[in-house]
Amino acid sequence: MSAPAAAPPRRGWLGLLRGLTADVPRAWPHFFAALLLAAAASAASVALMATSGWLLSRAAEHPPVLYLQVAAVGVRFFGISRGVFRYTERLVGHDLALKLQSALRLRVYGTLSRTTLLGRRRGDLLTRIVADVEAVMDLVVRVLVPFCSASLVILATTTLFAVFSPASAIVLLVSAVLAGGIVPWVAQRASRAADATAVPARGRLADSAHELSRASVDIVAYGLAEERLAALLDVDEELKRAEERAAVVRGIAVAGQVVAAGFAVLLILVLGAQEVAAGTLSPVMLAVLVLTPLTLHEVLSTLAQSAQTFTRAKVALRRVEAELTAEPVGAGDVPDAPPAEDPGLRLSGATIGWPRSEALLTGLDLRVGRGERVALVGPSGVGKTTVAATVMGLIPPQAGRVETHGRVGYLAQDAHIFSTTVSENVRIGNKDATRDDVVHALARAGLDLDPDRVVGELGSAVSGGEARRIALARLLVGDYQVWVLDEPTEHLDVITAAGVLDDLWRAAGDAPLLAITHDPAVMERCDRVVRLAR
Amino acid sequence: MAGPIDPRLLRRARATKWYLAAGAGIGIATAVLTIGQAWLLARSLGGVFAVHTLDPVWPVLAPLAAVFAGKALLSWANTWLAQRASAAVKSQLRRDILRARLATPTASTTSTGSLITLLTTGLDALDGYFSKYLPQLVLAATVPALIVLAVGSADLASAVIIVVTLPLIPIFMALIGWTTEARTKRRWKVQQRLATHFFDLIAGLPTLQSFGRARAQRKGLAETEAAHRRETMGTLRVSFLSAFALELLATLSVAIVAVEVGFRVVYSDIDLTTAFFILILAPEAYLPVRQVGVHYHDSADGMAAADSAFAEIDRLTAMPRGTLAAPAVDASRVVFDGFAYRYPDAETDAVTGIDLTIEPGEIVALAGTSGVGKTTLLNALMGFVRPTAGRILVGDVDLAEIDPDAWRAQLAHVPQQPGMVRGSVGDNVLLGDTAATEARARAALDDAGGAGIPLDQPVGDDGEGLSAGERRRIATARAMLRVRSGARLLVLDEPTAGLDAEAERVLLASLRELGVGAVIVTHRPRVLAEVDRVVHLEDPVGAAV
Repeated sequence: MSAPAAAPPRRGWLGLLRGLTADVPRAWPHFFAALLLAAAASAASVALMATSGWLLSRAAEHPPVLYLQVAAVGVRFFGISRGVFRYTERLVGHDLALKLQSALRLRVYGTLSRTTLLGRRRGDLLTRIVADVEAVMDLVVRVLVPFCSASLVILATTTLFAVFSPASAIVLLVSAVLAGGIVPWVAQRASRAADATAVPARGRLADSAHELSRASVDIVAYGLAEERLAALLDVDEELKRAEERAAVVRGIAVAGQVVAAGFAVLLILVLGAQEVAAGTLSPVMLAVLVLTPLTLHEVLSTLAQSAQTFTRAKVALRRVEAELTAEPVGAGDVPDAPPAEDPGLRLSGATIGWPRSEALLTGLDLRVGRGERVALVGPSGVGKTTVAATVMGLIPPQAGRVETHGRVGYLAQDAHIFSTTVSENVRIGNKDATRDDVVHALARAGLDLDPDRVVGELGSAVSGGEARRIALARLLVGDYQVWVLDEPTEHLDVITAAGVLDDLWRAAGDAPLLAITHDPAVMERCDRVVRLAR
Repeated sequence: MAGPIDPRLLRRARATKWYLAAGAGIGIATAVLTIGQAWLLARSLGGVFAVHTLDPVWPVLAPLAAVFAGKALLSWANTWLAQRASAAVKSQLRRDILRARLATPTASTTSTGSLITLLTTGLDALDGYFSKYLPQLVLAATVPALIVLAVGSADLASAVIIVVTLPLIPIFMALIGWTTEARTKRRWKVQQRLATHFFDLIAGLPTLQSFGRARAQRKGLAETEAAHRRETMGTLRVSFLSAFALELLATLSVAIVAVEVGFRVVYSDIDLTTAFFILILAPEAYLPVRQVGVHYHDSADGMAAADSAFAEIDRLTAMPRGTLAAPAVDASRVVFDGFAYRYPDAETDAVTGIDLTIEPGEIVALAGTSGVGKTTLLNALMGFVRPTAGRILVGDVDLAEIDPDAWRAQLAHVPQQPGMVRGSVGDNVLLGDTAATEARARAALDDAGGAGIPLDQPVGDDGEGLSAGERRRIATARAMLRVRSGARLLVLDEPTAGLDAEAERVLLASLRELGVGAVIVTHRPRVLAEVDRVVHLEDPVGAAV
């Protein structure tokens, strides 16, 4: 057993993003383009109000109309450009985000395909990572671009203000930091604290609902529905109360922004009027300074929202990053083996266990030769599927010898049915199989399905028995010489299970067969039963 | 696109109605304060511009501060009320869903996993709907009208511009949505297929690895990813158009008002204070409408959650409960009269044309191949499902008319995959009769072939710690306990599966000893030999295989 390698340093979401930009050509120019477009869109709405304020004030001085034309054109330009900038920004941003997502998906797939997943109970991880990867879209479209562009607009506005009235510039910046940073931060903390009070009730509700749902037939049959439901509704009431209490703090962020904007408007009004009275500020600029904070609220609410999304995206991407940097386990793919004259498998004094983990079984001796059917039986958690992974060459034994002769085929209890045709599903077992091969294998697996029928998530559903038989057809189409069956009757109803076993035994012929099981019906059909103990 | 508010949410969840009423009040108050704010600001700006002193500022400071405080308070109250309404609606939906689940325990098309997701995080999507979308929708319905009135009282021409352009926004959005619908739908299907490819590959990775095919699929994934991106961008180019129309119309209209007012100020057509008043108010008329657009996604997510909730709940309303007293099952024959059952959305009957009479006290076995509908017959007998054609008679009363709880009190049921509650083995046996003593539970478990299972053995979530055989024996003990407490008909689905020959023998002897009628679905020869009568069910004609 090799010494565990030092874990690579955590790179975090930024490191992950930097790595991804290497996979996407011209990612950074794209990013800055999106950022500038977003800033231009936000700036347009601020500029619209500011220019309009100037236009009205200047108009009140009754200058020749010609003097106002530039401002009028400016107002109209900002009125049109905002929508145009926003539309382009969204397209550029989403295109980049989709490219990064594709790059991340490929990386995740590449990494996961190189680590052995079989028997590691990672089904939930696989479904979660699919959702987690999507966080990279959010990170670009809903966090980085809006956050950077909003900050840019605030800084630019403050700078322009400083030219006319430094005091107003300071007020504007302070109110922006308050409304865009501090208030949302406080509100988020308050929200989180309030959410925490609902967590236990939520957990208990999920547990009770799970139990009620799984045992609903029994509970209803025995007339206990009302009693059980009443207990659950008490928990529900508790959750509702907690959520109602939490509702009090939800509006803080929005209210805080209104207060901050009001504070800025009032203070700038006083400061600006003073400067006008003192003659240091042109009266035409007063409306510009006072009205601008009113339009900044949109920019500021962007900041608050992107902070919220960031919290979620960060957690998801950290999980993805952990997967990407995890040390691979075993071979990933089953290594190709040449066909053997005398197929079989033999374990002598083998210690079975995952690499870099404790041994699950020691001194295992097992031999399955031509024509033999052996049942491998033991309590759950003893490592039966780990034995299968070792036999298939996915992981090495920790000690002792494991020899296999011939190609090892594996029939999983939860073999995945892909969202494609039956025929493509069967070809997983042998990519070079002809249509005739597939039809023949389906017939031998006892399945009367149209090879062109689309099955899986987006196709028509297949029953548990059909799924098991499609998996069997994969073994048959690929000329596997040694068969490893993992709980072949699990999740099947009694009659279907018996039918599947009949067909399995017939199809296996004299191939050496190792059946991992706890079903007495499977054991009955085997020549030998090997019982594993911890 | 469906209407802005799902009528089912109004009908089913009273909290929604109440919130909408309160929200309308808040909307009107917000509009009034916004108008006041514009007026105060305009007056002070116009004043300072005219006199170049601070005098016009002082009188408006206090009222302006009060207006801002009032607006802050209203926006907080709006969110607060919306969140409270959301909590109440979610609670109501959770209750209805759970009731629906219990009303039709076997008809579920939703897995327990997705049910739990729906009950917890799934319904939370309604929070976004209630806290972001609905408040803006309420504001959009109240604020613009009042703002337009205020603008109109100051200057009719500006009000006309707003009145003309404001309705254009929803019209243009609807037009764009309508013209691009076909294109979007066509693309959406392709996009859906490409989008699931990654999920499909990841979920199937262990399978691919066991055939040594995982690494080879990466190339194909790269191709679908590129295609997916192309298709998605194609869809987005179109679907962002309606947001574009919204932004463009809203900002351009404000610009038009501003320029129009500006040129009239030059000719002293209106005074500066009025001009400022209009300029400040004009964007406020469009703001709620724009916000509705911004939060449209929250609405879509919330609606999707509500849809899945109502899909669950609607099954409850589809099946009215009977009310008649239940005839005694040990004195009445049970007749399946032309019984047929078709799953919702199925094209053919799963079971059809069943005529079957069960005499009082008779032990009948139902045999037949998988999928022939034996379990469906048991579910119908238990009252979990209703026949879609024909009927079930108990004596001369239709089972559908009988109060299901009173009927089930006479039955003892063991499903093929018995459910377990958390606690101990004893707790699970005692579900058969919660008033029974531990000694009686022990006796029942022994008779069910479970002599080796201790009553105090803990049972985890979903029967964790028990084998399939043990679960079945505990469930059978449960049924026996119920018979000994007065139930008169056993309804058993493969009670001896997973049992060895000896356990099977003990169980069969005990069943005989109980001396009550039984309907047993089984394929075990020993059971078939023991019963009074065996009914073989045939595949229904024309049914899907």
